[in-house]
Amino acid sequence: MKTSLLLIGLLSAGIAFAGPPAPKHGGIESKDYKWNADEGEKSEALKLKGDKKRGEEAYEVCGACHLPSGAGRPDGTFPQLAGQHTTVLIKQMADIRAGTRDNPTMYPFAATLTDPQELADAAAYIESLCIPIEHGKYEGADAATQVAKGKELYEKQCLECHGKNGEGVKDKFYPVIAGQHYKYLLRQMTEIRDGHRRNANPDMVKIIKPYTNDQLVAISAYQSSLVMPGNMCKPKAGKKK
Amino acid sequence: MKFIMSLIAAALVASPVIAAPDGAKLFAEKTCNACHGPKGDKPLMPNYPKIAGQNAAYTEQQMKDIKSGARNNGQTAAMKGVMHLVNDEEIKAISEYLVKLK
Repeated sequence: MKTSLLLIGLLSAGIAFAGPPAPKHGGIESKDYKWNADEGEKSEALKLKGDKKRGEEAYEVCGACHLPSGAGRPDGTFPQLAGQHTTVLIKQMADIRAGTRDNPTMYPFAATLTDPQELADAAAYIESLCIPIEHGKYEGADAATQVAKGKELYEKQCLECHGKNGEGVKDKFYPVIAGQHYKYLLRQMTEIRDGHRRNANPDMVKIIKPYTNDQLVAISAYQSSLVMPGNMCKPKAGKKK
Repeated sequence: MKFIMSLIAAALVASPVIAAPDGAKLFAEKTCNACHGPKGDKPLMPNYPKIAGQNAAYTEQQMKDIKSGARNNGQTAAMKGVMHLVNDEEIKAISEYLVKLK
């Protein structure tokens, strides 16, 4: 069953068996790009009820890079995932798999998920994890200034979609950004601005276009300082600072 | 204060004999296991290499070349995304660990 599904997937994508690099599907660079079109396994997975228990098993392979806690890495290589909306997780995995988000390191893992149900399961498990309180933040000597400057910019244009505490909007596919690593946020915003995140939301691209590198640094510094009350992991008892 | 001083002293004494990085630990921590298998012999994709038992000089050179971009063919795009996680010393330790695997 697994094999036949995989084969069907590969055949319909028009690529040779087990042939990374990933398929390339028209994204933001193509004229008829429609953001978040209601199609494919993303739509199927979104309709399914994810099973956390099965998702925990499916997540095992993810944990090698994203860590069992979902925390990713402060250097921005791998994003923090814990507590992310299932909608966002499903869309991003499906996009990587379909070739609208270029991510050669992640692609083979997205490809090993066998069907929309497994996608829904993994997403349900990841969403249920608490957001780690310690993660990559802006560490320059001018951190306080950057965070203050970033707060002002964030509240002007980012807050409307990503929320006061960085909680995003689940049914609009706006990601949780509280608890995310500074370096990851900066990298993604830069890539979205410069047209390299091919599955980006055109509204976001429009808004972020005029921002300078320095401004993005400040915004990322502020974003990575956000916390979502109620969703953060509890500090470990007796842990010494 | 005394305690801190003795800590510093201990650190100074200990530093020259800090052991070489542990290849097995690095192999898991730096995400190598995710694509090449926990023992380097079960790659995630059929066209990823089995690296268990591969001679150390070869592995070391390939990792360095992929990291620097000197090698950018094949599946290197997948590998390049994680190569900034390791430095030269760690690359060497991983290579020396892999050669011992079967």
